[in-house]
Amino acid sequence: MDDPRATRLVETVLRCYPARWRRRHGEEAAELAALLIRDGTPAGSVAWSYLAGAARERLTSRPGRRLSTVACALLVAACSLGVSAGLLASAAPARAASTSQAHGPAQCRPGSPEPVPGVTPAMSRPQVIIWAAGHGRSC
Amino acid sequence: MSRQDGRAGQNALRRVGEASVLILISLADGPKHGYALIQDIKQLADVELGPGTLYGALDRLERLGLIEPLPADDRRHPYRITAPGAAALRVHLDSLERVSAAGRLRLRLGGI
Repeated sequence: MDDPRATRLVETVLRCYPARWRRRHGEEAAELAALLIRDGTPAGSVAWSYLAGAARERLTSRPGRRLSTVACALLVAACSLGVSAGLLASAAPARAASTSQAHGPAQCRPGSPEPVPGVTPAMSRPQVIIWAAGHGRSC
Repeated sequence: MSRQDGRAGQNALRRVGEASVLILISLADGPKHGYALIQDIKQLADVELGPGTLYGALDRLERLGLIEPLPADDRRHPYRITAPGAAALRVHLDSLERVSAAGRLRLRLGGI
């Protein structure tokens, strides 16, 4: 390749391939790129083809690599579950606090004998029934 | 090489795509290295194979046992088609011919 920028571009892209691939095809690939560019193929097009090839090469599953891919996927899944659980845990007390501010703390207690001031019996009754039903089932 | 082996090779060939078929066709008349393959495929099929696509297809075909590398000539690695590769290519081309004939017949019957 006469153009040093084209040479650098292709060399950089060839570094994206796994070492095993570079040992096998690296020199020939660089020479092939030089010949294609000399024939008039744009350097960008050659580099893009090698870049896509490098991505395919890295994504191709090999017996040893499949295990590490599964391990990575499990790690990502575990991390995202942890983050979701953390978000839920931090959101739950806040939601509980906002609910108790709106309806008063006594409504949340089951079997509260005192009528809650400012709340009509029709509104307070279903809440007690739902809690009791859930409580009974869990016991 | 049995017909059944050819069929197995052809199934593999269907999975690896058009570039692999073109490479096998190009290697059918003798060994070639990367640059010669690109030039030949451009001439015979008017397809410009990118170098990244070429090496990917060569690796896949080699893994499948349809081609094999020859000792390096300077920095260039020539490849040649193997007997299973030739059988797979033959079956694949037969199948393409049948599909092509059926397509032409249907076009005639449809009066298009």
